[in-house]
Amino acid sequence: MASLSFILRRILQMIPTILFILVVTFVLVRLLPGDPATVMLGDRGREADIARINAQLGLDKPLVVQFLYFIANVFSGNLGNSIALRVPVTTLLVERLPVTLLLTGMAAAIAVIFSVPLGFWAALRQNRASDTIIRGTFQVGLSMPVFYVGLLLLIFFGAHLHWFPIGGYGHGFGDHLYHLFLPAVTLALSLSAVLMRNLRSAILNVIDAEYVDFARSKGLRGYVILVRHVLRNAVISTVTLFGLQVGVLLGGAVITETVFAIPGAGRLMIDSIYGRDYPVIQGLTISLAIVVSLIFLATDLLQAWLDPRIMR
Amino acid sequence: MNAMFKALGLGAIVLGASLSGAAAVERGGILTYARQADSRLLDPVYNQGNVNIWVLSSMYDTLILPTDDGKGLKPGLATNWQVSKDGLTVTLHLRDDIKFSDGTPITAEDVRWSLERAANPEHGIWNFMLGSIDNVEARDEKTILLHLKHTDPAILPALSVFNAAIMPEKQYEATKGASDEDKAKTFAQHPVGSGPFVLTTWERGSSMKLARNPHYWAKGEDGKPLPYLDGINFEIIPDDATRILKLQSGEIDGAEMIPYARVNELKQDPAVDMELFPSTRVQYVTLNVRPKLEGEKNPLFDLKVRQALNYAANKQAIIQIVTHGVGKPMTSFMSSGTPMQTGTKPLYPYDLAKAKALLKDAGYPDGFETSIMVIAGNQDEIGIATTLQQMWSQLGVKLDIQQVDDGTRDTVYRNGTFHMRLSVWTDDIADPSEFASYALYPPTIGALHTGWSNDKATKLFEASQQELDPKKRLEEYAQMQKIFNTSGPTVPLYETPYAVALSKNLHGFNQIPLGNNIFRWAWLSR
Repeated sequence: MASLSFILRRILQMIPTILFILVVTFVLVRLLPGDPATVMLGDRGREADIARINAQLGLDKPLVVQFLYFIANVFSGNLGNSIALRVPVTTLLVERLPVTLLLTGMAAAIAVIFSVPLGFWAALRQNRASDTIIRGTFQVGLSMPVFYVGLLLLIFFGAHLHWFPIGGYGHGFGDHLYHLFLPAVTLALSLSAVLMRNLRSAILNVIDAEYVDFARSKGLRGYVILVRHVLRNAVISTVTLFGLQVGVLLGGAVITETVFAIPGAGRLMIDSIYGRDYPVIQGLTISLAIVVSLIFLATDLLQAWLDPRIMR
Repeated sequence: MNAMFKALGLGAIVLGASLSGAAAVERGGILTYARQADSRLLDPVYNQGNVNIWVLSSMYDTLILPTDDGKGLKPGLATNWQVSKDGLTVTLHLRDDIKFSDGTPITAEDVRWSLERAANPEHGIWNFMLGSIDNVEARDEKTILLHLKHTDPAILPALSVFNAAIMPEKQYEATKGASDEDKAKTFAQHPVGSGPFVLTTWERGSSMKLARNPHYWAKGEDGKPLPYLDGINFEIIPDDATRILKLQSGEIDGAEMIPYARVNELKQDPAVDMELFPSTRVQYVTLNVRPKLEGEKNPLFDLKVRQALNYAANKQAIIQIVTHGVGKPMTSFMSSGTPMQTGTKPLYPYDLAKAKALLKDAGYPDGFETSIMVIAGNQDEIGIATTLQQMWSQLGVKLDIQQVDDGTRDTVYRNGTFHMRLSVWTDDIADPSEFASYALYPPTIGALHTGWSNDKATKLFEASQQELDPKKRLEEYAQMQKIFNTSGPTVPLYETPYAVALSKNLHGFNQIPLGNNIFRWAWLSR
């Protein structure tokens, strides 16, 4: 019961957060110089055309009125139409958001698969050659810009070896996974480095704790100590970091999606900001805010499960 | 008319042969072509830019088509046309047996409806090109009459522009939608067209598939209907390096918008056919020439200052640094691919001593401070601006480079509060009037929003807009160009071609100077 009220409390907390993000986004994008018609028509637009299009879009009304319309629409499930692409925002979200979520999910999974065992290994072999090699390699991965890593992977595994397609998203779920593998590895690289280093130092902290010495003196076997006592306590901070980093990963998807020609939400967001496509920016912001809040919620629950004291 | 048709057929054969070389064409196959950005709205009338325009010509035909050099006209859905002596009526004759992609006939009524829809001042932003049309009459099944409000020397080229495309009235009007624009949005999802290809599927931001229109009228060099291809897949690949890599590894057959820095490298690649198609693209600096800026005296108002900046800009060096030698100097403010361009030699050859003298004369012996807006992340623009910054520092002119995004730049530009900006222009029509009206005729957009005006140029432009004698019109354009090139509000930099990389298997593809991608003659060898 305690956990149920904890979850409910956290979900209720999400509502003001998302509302706040909504107001900030709504105001911020309108503070940017330029409006949708100006950008769409570019250098060639004549004043009369710009005024006519902005009036058609309702952008000539006071900001407060626009905001109230927007809020009323959101609560009736209508996010409006994209100004540039002329289709409902919900259609775009349904097309684009799953792509980015799949990419981020794959990247997160790859990062965990790599960083947990290697973090362990490095910690247990502290300051030995293998530790140095693991940390050094990840350091390089962390330092290289995403677009550069992406391009290198494309040239080597795509153009030379022909193991993977060069960009695109493919058709059907299996094909999507195949197309997203290289971009997911690219995204996962920096996350793995951060997670690995964090886990390594957390394990090193825990391994010296008195309760580990106690467990050891009880005669428990090595791997039992490692899994039940060391890992469980060490991963708490790594889980927090992981939750935060997955949020960052969603943002990092922008560059990856551009290099690998993936039609995801990141690219849509950039295009929409440049195009001052207010309804799409707002729709994407709401959706991403909900996704990130849910990730944080999941992180909190995982932490609570690892350390029940947190729930109180 | 029969003789005309034969002549056209022959022309088509000669043209097809010249494009494809000695090899006989092969039919069939799907061409995959990588584009930098996706289209937004595939409606001829309501679309708002090149991402749409450059593919619309594959989906819709016009009565008249632009020639491959972008300067002339050739028959399209109309086989011939006459302009009345008073210049107020244009009569066009429709081709026999023309059909839309769903097999229904293209009638004179469809033409009347399409042109009146395109000319409606409430519709979209391109209607001004057909602004002289008073009404359109379908005289009989094959004859169209355009009744004009006033004489218009550009009306025939205007009929070859994308917005004058012929669409099916019944199918369009049967589409649901509260307004014409709503209908356009819905119809454009599954259009019925009059061009060589028809849209089948479109995954926004990712890919667009076109299939051949089995009812298309034009014949190939084998005497069978065009197009040769079974279809085209457009893939959207925004990253330049990825687009090139995909072509080099053989996954695609063509890639547009190749950065100039990669052109020479791709020319050496045996698997790639690096094409530089002549264009109407010009790159220039736009100067705000209002007498005062931010309450202070504006140096750029002084003609001598503008001339000094022009002489001190070493165009050849910029062409080498930014376009890697791909560009060429401008001989007029309009591109050399624009009809009636009268330039003969490069404008303002580099002369630092002359520039210094002019600036001293103008009362700025030690230069002044000014700024230029460039698009953040745009390598060409940043390259030009930093080169100019260095070149103008020789005059003591301190150039502050402001990196902004499109929306910000356009707004400051329109407000008239900018100092300088970099600009690009490409013609949409085989006539000089489009760019001239933007550049030197203040009522359109205030001479590129610079505050510049010249009474003589204004009068010449107004006269040329109704001048039916081509010789007189050419003389008017020669004078307008002389005025603008010597006293205008720009620093002309260079002209560049369209850099497109193709696979060796692709033949007969062309991007004409107006930008339209012409796939009707394209074929793939296996």
